[in-house]
Parts: sequence; C-alpha cells; structure tokens
Amino acid sequence: MKVTRLNEITLMQYIAIVHGAQVGTGIFSLPKDIALKAGADGWISILISWAVITLAGCVMLLLLRKFPDDPLPSLLGKIFGRRLGKLALLPFIVYFGCFGWIVMVNSMLYIKAWFLPKTSVFLIILLFAVPTFMLVRNGMRVIGRYAEFILYSMAWMPVFLLFPLSDGHWTNLLPILKDGWTPVLGSVRETLFAFTGMEILFFVYPHLKRKQYAFHGMLIASTLTMFLYTFVTILCYIQFPQDEIVQINQPLMNLLKIIEFRFLERFDMIFFALYLFVVSRSWSVYGFATAYSLGRLFNRENHTGMTALYLLAILVVVFVRQPTWNQSIRFGDAMTIFNEWMLFIVPVVLLAFVQIKALFRRRTPG
Amino acid sequence: MFPFNLFFGKRRYSSARQNAGNKDVRPFMPEQSEGEEHPLDSDLSRNLEEVARRFPDWPDFVVFRFASGSEQIPAALLYLDGLTDKKAVNDNILQPMMSSQQGNSSTRFPEPTIGDVRRAHNWQELEYAIMNGDCVLLLDGCAHALVYNASGWPQRSITDPQLESSLKGAHQGFVETAAQNLALLRRYLPNKELRIHKTIVGKRGKTTLFILFLADVAHPDVLEELRSRIDKIDVDAVINTGEVAEYIEDNPYSPFPQFILTERPDSAASQLLQGRYVVIVDRSPSVIIAPSTFISLFQSVDDYSSRWMIASFIRLLRFLAFFIALLLPAIYISFISYNYEVIPLQLFLSIAESRERVPFPPLLEAMLMEIMLEMMREAGIRLPASVGQTIGIVGGIVVGQAAVQAGVVSNIMVIVVASTAIASFILPSYDMGTAVRLLRFPMMIMASLFGLVGIVIGFMTILIHLMSLESLGTPYGSPLAPFRWSDMKDTFVRFPLWSMVQRPKSARPIQDKRVGRGRPRGDD
Repeated sequence: MKVTRLNEITLMQYIAIVHGAQVGTGIFSLPKDIALKAGADGWISILISWAVITLAGCVMLLLLRKFPDDPLPSLLGKIFGRRLGKLALLPFIVYFGCFGWIVMVNSMLYIKAWFLPKTSVFLIILLFAVPTFMLVRNGMRVIGRYAEFILYSMAWMPVFLLFPLSDGHWTNLLPILKDGWTPVLGSVRETLFAFTGMEILFFVYPHLKRKQYAFHGMLIASTLTMFLYTFVTILCYIQFPQDEIVQINQPLMNLLKIIEFRFLERFDMIFFALYLFVVSRSWSVYGFATAYSLGRLFNRENHTGMTALYLLAILVVVFVRQPTWNQSIRFGDAMTIFNEWMLFIVPVVLLAFVQIKALFRRRTPG
Repeated sequence: MFPFNLFFGKRRYSSARQNAGNKDVRPFMPEQSEGEEHPLDSDLSRNLEEVARRFPDWPDFVVFRFASGSEQIPAALLYLDGLTDKKAVNDNILQPMMSSQQGNSSTRFPEPTIGDVRRAHNWQELEYAIMNGDCVLLLDGCAHALVYNASGWPQRSITDPQLESSLKGAHQGFVETAAQNLALLRRYLPNKELRIHKTIVGKRGKTTLFILFLADVAHPDVLEELRSRIDKIDVDAVINTGEVAEYIEDNPYSPFPQFILTERPDSAASQLLQGRYVVIVDRSPSVIIAPSTFISLFQSVDDYSSRWMIASFIRLLRFLAFFIALLLPAIYISFISYNYEVIPLQLFLSIAESRERVPFPPLLEAMLMEIMLEMMREAGIRLPASVGQTIGIVGGIVVGQAAVQAGVVSNIMVIVVASTAIASFILPSYDMGTAVRLLRFPMMIMASLFGLVGIVIGFMTILIHLMSLESLGTPYGSPLAPFRWSDMKDTFVRFPLWSMVQRPKSARPIQDKRVGRGRPRGDD
C-alpha cells in the first residue's frame, strides 16, 4: 500500500513546506554574513545561490521521480536493500535531527535575548516543544496545512520593512561589482547555507498529490525564498552603509527597530514575536523528517512516540549543554559542510547509483 | 485534563482499528430476545389478561372495553392517556365504531376513520405502539391488533428560536417533534433528491434520528461515515441533539464545536443546499449540520439576505471579535507585566495611573474580573427575564463602578473585560463563543508567564489544533488550510450571490455548480 495515501498534500502546501523549511532564523544575520565577504554586491550572490540550489533541487526531483511514492527511508531501502538501507538512513537522521535542533536553539537564543532574558533556556525550548509535538505527530498533511496558512497569513510582514525606505540611500548599492566577481562568488557558500531546506523534498515529494507540478512547485518555493532574501538584503544595504553593516549582528533587527508607530512604540517586538510562526514551520518540518525516519528505522507504524523521543532528546541536550550564541554559531559552521554534502553530493551519488544499477539490471537478464 | 488530551488524545475515528473488542459486557437493560415472539391470542379476554400482566399499574394507561357495530363484537381500545389526541380517539375511532347506524352489513364491524393504520401481530409490537402514543384496537376473534396513529403529545407551537433570532430570515424555528421539523425542511426543498434516512438510537429511549441530504449534491462517503458513527452509538437514551453530536464527533478532546447545531430551518436548508448533511433528532429542537468547518461557524444565514457589503463588514467584525475575545485580556496582561516597552509612554503612564491603587498582579486582577463576568453571564442565562435585569444592574454598578472606586481593579481592566464580553457575544455560534471564552483563560496564564512569546505559542497551539481537527473526515480548517481559492468568496467577505457559482469545496459536494449564468445585466 502507498504509505502516503492518507497524507496527500496540495501543490500550495508543497510550496509552503519547502519554502518554510528554507526560511529560518538565518535571515536576521544574512545581510551581515554576506556583506563580510561580498560587500554591497552581496545580493548578487543570493541570485547565484538560488540558481545553484534550484539545480540541486532538479537533481533531487530526478532521483525522486523514479520512486514516486517512497519517502526517504523506503527510498533508501529500495536502493540499498532493507538492511543497508537502514544503515544509510542513520546519517540522514542525524542530519535532520541536528538541523531541527539548531533552528530551534537559534530561535530560542533570539527569544531569550529579546523577550525573556531571565527565563531558562530549557523552559523556552519546552515552550516550543509543545506545539511542535502536536504538529509533527499529525504528519505531513497537517504540517502542510499549517505551512500554507502561515505562508499567506504572514505575507504582510515583508511589506512593513518598506516603511523606513524613505530614509535609505540607494547609492549604497553603487557601484555594482566594484571589486569584480571574486568576492561575490566567495560568499556564495554562506548564502547557500541560508537556502538549506531543499533536501526536505525527500519527504515532501512522495506526499504531493499532483506530481507533474513537482518541479514548478520547487521552483516557486526557492524563488519565493530568493525574493525574500534579496528584498531583505537590499533593504538593509540601502539603510546602513557597508562599514556599519558588518558590525551589526542582526541587521534586519536594526532595520525593524526604525519602524515606529504612534500607537506602537516597539513594532519590532511584535514583528519578531510573530516571526516565531514562520520559524516554527522550519523546525517542525525537520522534526518531522527526523521522527518519521526514526519511526521507519524501528518499523513503527506511527511516529508519535519517536516525536516525543526526539523532542525529549533536544530538551536533554539543551538542559545539559545550555547553548550560547557562540556555540550555536560554531555548530552552524560545522553543519555547513554536512549540509553541502546533503544538498549536492548525496542526490548526485544516489542518482548515479540508481542509473548504474538500472543499467546492470537491463544487461544481466538480457 | 484538557491540554493533556489535546496532545495525546487519539482522534476517535481516524484510525482503522475500531473498538471492535471492547463492546460493553453488561447490557444496561435486560433485552428481550429478538427471535422469541409472543403472538397475540384470538380470544379477547385472554388478550386482556395478558395486557393486565404486561402493563400492571400505569395510572395513565386506558383500557376501554366496548361492543362494536351491529354484531356487537366485543372490542377493547388501549392507549396511553396524554400521548394520544383525545379528539381523534373520540371522533374518529370510538364514534364510528360504537354507533350502530354505520353498521354496514358488508363488513363485520365499522371502520374507524383514521388513515394511518397498521397491524401488530405480537406483543412486542403492541407494547412499542402503545408507548409511542398509538391507539391499539383489540377485537375478539382476531389474532392481530389494529394500531391507529392518533398520537398527540404535548407540543410547543412554532416560534422564533431564542438562541439564534433572525433579522431577515424566516421566523419559524424547529420544535421538539421530528415530523414537524421534517415538514419545515421539506417546505424549503420540495425536491425529490432530498433523501431521508431513518435510524433509531438508544436502547431505552429509542430516539428516532433522521439524516437528510440532497442525494445529487452531498458526498456519499460522508453519509457512510455519518451512518456508521450513528450506528455505533450504544446508550440507554439520548435526550438532546448535543448528546448525539458528542457521540459522533471526531475529536472529543477539543474545545471547538465540530458540528453546527441550529434551530433555524432556513439555516439547515441552506446548509443542505451546500451539500452538507442534516441530522434531526426527535424530541430536540436543534439539528446537527455536518460536516462543518471553522469558518462555517462564523457564517449566519442572515448574511445572505442582507446587502453583500454590509454582510461582509459584519463578517469581518466577527473575525475581529474572535481575536479580541480570545486575546485581549492576554495582551493586556503581557503589555502590563512583560512588554511594556511596546506601548507608547503616554498610554503606559495612563494605564499605570489607573493601576496605581490596585494591589493585585495583572493576572489576578484579570482573572477576578473575567470570572466575575462569566458568573454574571451564567446567572443572566438561568434567571427569568424579570430577575435577570437585576443582574445587569448589580453587575454594572458593583463591578463597573464600585470595584474601580474601591481600588480592586483598574479602569482599563473594566474596559478590557467589557470588550471581551461584547466580542464573545457577537459570534453567531453559541458553541464557538463558549469555546473562545474558555480558551481565554489558558491564554491569560501563558501571557502572565511568558509575555508576548507565551501568547504566540498559545495561539500557535490553538492554530495547530484547529488544523488537525476534522469534521466527519473533512478538514475543519478548510478553506483557510487547506487553502481553497474558490471558497474564499464566502469566507471573510461575502461576495454577491450571483458570483458564488460553486458550492463550497469544504462540504465535499459532488455537484459543484449552484448558480446559473450570471444575473441579467443592462436594460434588455
């Protein structure tokens, strides 16, 4: 039986999930991260990364098209056989688990810094874990509904960033490519990290009801992300000069701080509290990938128990380690290489393996 | 209990493994074995002995013995006094049978002038007939009884429903008799596609349920689901519609109503036309409408009879009211105790000034007032109208004026509580209003513990819960999530009727189109 039959999602949900997995807390520091290397031309490297990531998405879809109804665990099972498939699943579980963890910890650190400086890290993560558990245990369909609802109900957020536009200086962007292409290409690696989330296709694609639009959906999702990043980056650049921006940790936050209404003094607080809705999509999707894979690893029919286990593990780690900003940044850097493997090497290798296997199979019986 | 179940509660009907194993062991009523039938005797006196044995001492049970027709055949009429229409019994049964003029030689005895007649051959049928208000005629030499439908139990006349009074719609509300309710609905839809399924629920109570639907519009899968759930109800008796709804709903651990309960036939008819199912429960004036969605609880049938712009405005107002009723006290608490930097200094100063004499922390102050408000509301509902006014005066003066002057609560808090109360009454569905009122309290606690973040997390939890809810297997959050573009015409804004060409997708209709090609335009 198709495992995904009861959990089919629409195209819009598919777009929302992929886009939601990509957009996390990285957006707050992204303008600075790019500016460090590429200066004012950083937005060009976003465009390049977008092209690269879309290409990676295409490769993944090429692979997934051969196994239209198999999420990652059964896909690996079909490629490598049952035992080896489970072995191959392990690094994926670690990867998705770590990613969900880091998104959650980053959000927690922001919340702690901005809203609840005296509350313990453990308690904040516990707070996050409650809705996450409810969302993840309900499976892809409910995650899809949640993601799409957040996608359009939070669509007003970028519009508010336009408010301080009149104080900005467009000249900050000029001259374009003043140092040539080298710095732009050099910062592509940082930007690619912000686009992480495409690998969730391994779990989302099998649930998509109308598979013929999988490519379009993937393209729309990554384009949405690209637009959002470019929009935010350019707005930050015209607001703050280059020498200033590299010293601001979260340029987007400073941009938000400028916005002020007569009835609302600190709009950025409201904005950031509501941004939790957006980030929660990201960690929930990773959490689902982890819990679902864990469930398949132990041949469980539903992944409720594994969801609880995963969240419990996160809570224990947080309780023991008490993560700080520096730790989180270091951990993120360590994840970059892992992430690049996952996005670019693994799909290609798997695809090649499948092709070669098919080639041999065609030859041997003939 | 409640939040715990919110996370762990299995949706009762979602999983394939049904409760096949744990059927109750002890029946709550000694059942007569269905196979064993006790047939009637042909001798009247022996039958009457059995009657005396079966209905030992019922003060309202009437056994009237008489001799019928020209042949003077001994006969007996059995009925329950009070459940039968006396006029019908006298004029249409007894009079023709006892008067000898009508005695026609061609028939053995004169016929009563009642059309609805059937035969009962055994005692079980006879008992059931008597207890349902039918008249039973026993004749000597006859091995069956004649059952005449002359029922006439106490009834209420058809009035405007109290809970959902209508502005522009019909002023007839459902009553406690299912047959009348059926008639009310048939008047709206004189269509042969209007199908009615009858089932009986309850071992002791034996309540009749009617499932109504438009056969060419409503989705057959939903009917199957609905019927199987109703068939699974295994109880002594159901008294009201709300009980049936609780037995068949998808998630019993949810504060939100998963079906619309309405007392208005026009509302029910309009839902039938959208492709939904209506369940009429005998002896109860409200009907169940299923499957329903979150949004459908914000719609009222009056929306469609007022101008579309005004209707849209009112509908938007309801959504705003939902948020105010749910979040305003929580936001007040969080702005005062946590995130005071968000509001401008001037406003904060004026709030601080009014809170100067208040000795309680914001949560306690808010809880005090909200609970006071809930008490006043509940008291107002239960009391008769003449005493109910006192509550208004006492509440207004004591809570509004004296509490502020005594320094127990602040002025701003009174404003917050009052706005919350008004907002929660705007919602057209009473059940939705109560759900929101209940959820306000956990939100307030979250706000006092974690401020704005607490509110966001609390709301996120509610949102996720709403999205995982289903009503008879159709998503509760539709058309918001899963997003349905065509249903948006009747969600936040009510588009003009001629533009709503399709029935709402959230009701899963099998026939989409409901409006013809546009309205006539121009002068031709």
